[in-house]
Amino acid sequence: MLDALFERRVIFLVGKGGVGKSTVSAMLALALAKRGKRVLLAQMEPSRRLAELLGVDADTAAPVEALPGLFFLTVDGESSLSEYLALVLPIRRLHRLVVTSKLYHHFVAAAPGLKELMTVGKIWYEEQLESGGGRKWDAIVVDAPATGHSLQYLRMPAAAYEAFGQGLVRREAKRVVDLLTDARRTVVCPVTTAEEMPVNETTEIYGQLNGHLGMPLGVLFVNRVHSAPMAPGDVPTAPPGTSSLVEDVLRCAREEAGWTAINRHHLERLRATVPLPTVELPFLFAEEFGLAEVRRLLVHAEGRASRETPAEER
Amino acid sequence: MTLESLVREHRVIICVGSGGVGKTTTAAAVALWGAMQGRRAVVLTIDPARRLADSLGVGALSDDPRPVDPALLAAAGLRARGRLAAMMLDQKNAWDRLVARHAPSDEVRERILRNRFYLSLSQTFAGSHEYMAIEQLCVLMDSDEYDLIVLDTPPTKHALDFFEAPERIRDFLDRRMVRWFVTPYLSSGWTAAKAMNRTVGFLFRKVEEATGVSALAEISDFFSAMSGMFDAFTGRTATIHAILRAHTTAFLLVTGPEEQVLTEAEFFSEKIRTLRMPLKGVVFNRVHEEFPVDPAAFPGATVTRADEPAVERALLEIGTAPETTRWMARNFVDYQVLARGEALRMEQFRAGLPGRTPFVAIPNFDTDLHDLAGLARMHHRLFEAGTTKGTGRHGRPRKDRSP
Repeated sequence: MLDALFERRVIFLVGKGGVGKSTVSAMLALALAKRGKRVLLAQMEPSRRLAELLGVDADTAAPVEALPGLFFLTVDGESSLSEYLALVLPIRRLHRLVVTSKLYHHFVAAAPGLKELMTVGKIWYEEQLESGGGRKWDAIVVDAPATGHSLQYLRMPAAAYEAFGQGLVRREAKRVVDLLTDARRTVVCPVTTAEEMPVNETTEIYGQLNGHLGMPLGVLFVNRVHSAPMAPGDVPTAPPGTSSLVEDVLRCAREEAGWTAINRHHLERLRATVPLPTVELPFLFAEEFGLAEVRRLLVHAEGRASRETPAEER
Repeated sequence: MTLESLVREHRVIICVGSGGVGKTTTAAAVALWGAMQGRRAVVLTIDPARRLADSLGVGALSDDPRPVDPALLAAAGLRARGRLAAMMLDQKNAWDRLVARHAPSDEVRERILRNRFYLSLSQTFAGSHEYMAIEQLCVLMDSDEYDLIVLDTPPTKHALDFFEAPERIRDFLDRRMVRWFVTPYLSSGWTAAKAMNRTVGFLFRKVEEATGVSALAEISDFFSAMSGMFDAFTGRTATIHAILRAHTTAFLLVTGPEEQVLTEAEFFSEKIRTLRMPLKGVVFNRVHEEFPVDPAAFPGATVTRADEPAVERALLEIGTAPETTRWMARNFVDYQVLARGEALRMEQFRAGLPGRTPFVAIPNFDTDLHDLAGLARMHHRLFEAGTTKGTGRHGRPRKDRSP
């Protein structure tokens, strides 16, 4: 299922905060790099999560190679705008004068949507970059901000295109909109967990992406899925006099069975409201969550995990 | 200090933290507890997912606090000696009301409300959500109708957005700044701007090329219409600054034990400290519990992956089917490994906090907590089980990891 995604050059991951967008985007970037592609993993809001996972500095202005073939970049609107102005204002002193002025900062903070436009514009810019006779990046994976926000980002280019008269912004916005809606180059994948609120939001996102935003949709990633082999009611109750160890074992079994039931229920809802091909990623029991865990998730996403994969996988 | 005394001793509790950690649920649970203790409590949420509305069973919330029907509480087996109200902030509406409150005349008000720049600003301006939350907090404080105000904050990744929103909006509406925008259009056009400052003139020209003249004219008109309101805003900012740092205000950090979430939480608490705002408590949601085990059977009193067979043997006494036994043993070990990782991370986080900061861990209930009964289930952990050492869910002492 992932291979169909990997035919597009730009993959956006969107979803509610805390569902694991960063994890899934890192997983896809790893998969692409493993296939020998030169991949850019771009996060649209500064956060330490991804950088820490990859073991790189979060604040670098240029892409850094975190793993062979996998480059990491934090895109933020303000520096993208400054970078963009450097392109249209080639005189360096003038550029510096503008971007260090208080008015400029005021304007950037105030101008509605400019930051968003520039952030998505930066992704477009990276997509176009050429190097050595070909495109600089074989693929770009974008970790978008949390829901309300990410749609705001994706909505902005079209809004700018409609709102602004003939001019630079309109031209830029047009290019970005073209990229966002081009199903040959771009794909958007919602990420969620199978719980009530994330599913509600995912349904909303799906409606908007599929509706007026008209963006090409790919795969739905459902993260942290529990899979106990029994229902909560089928977990035996401890007979009187049972040791506390056995009591605790049963308690954990019940908890896992409970979450499994919740997940199943919401997966069912998702099937009804978000008709996309779905990749389920298991809840991982690990003392620490690092790159090794991301690789384990990839094994599942690629369908290489069998039901019984004890030693190496657990 | 315990979380219980924290809530008793404060009038304003602001729940902060990154998205998806149960901030809204925690805020609602705290307000509900206050109401049950006899307080006149209100919880204010800004989350567009309308989570709080769902959890309180009040459907869509309005801009004004709406009382939660005591019958609803009774139906959930809860008795409130005080009152509980809830409201959800409609950002657009809150801006409109703010303008209406401060506009010097009806004509100015209408001009602002119709301004296209205002229309997008009121919805997209960075920090606008945050500012409106705080603004609403001021309104609730002024009304004197509530003695416990619990504020849920937007799920922002930028801790700073929330704290800096008032200053940012004030700067944005700064009179001196506005002059740059307004003057050229109201007086003599570009030449005036150029004469004042070449950079400004240049930037304006570039901006105009980029955006089209009409957009700038709108912005200019917006500022000139707003200019009568600046003093009101500036006064507000001072009030807000005072409220956020008052001794009756407490910041409650809501987080989870996963390392991705904790990384953000650390950043958050550092920031709160540098801004000298009072971080007075931490709530960890969805924590897995590490159970004490017999050190004779499990060396070091910890369960590791190698212990699966030992757990299986222990399960012989209840005689489950071999397959079930194997799964349950493996699942128990899984949970213990996870719980240990969480406990270590929480301890580490706690070590960086001032000594007596209340610190509560809420277990990973095997059900979604989105209704009143669910909120009440949190109370046991939030307020009664003790806040520093805590006991196991079933009254057994938990393994104590305090240094």
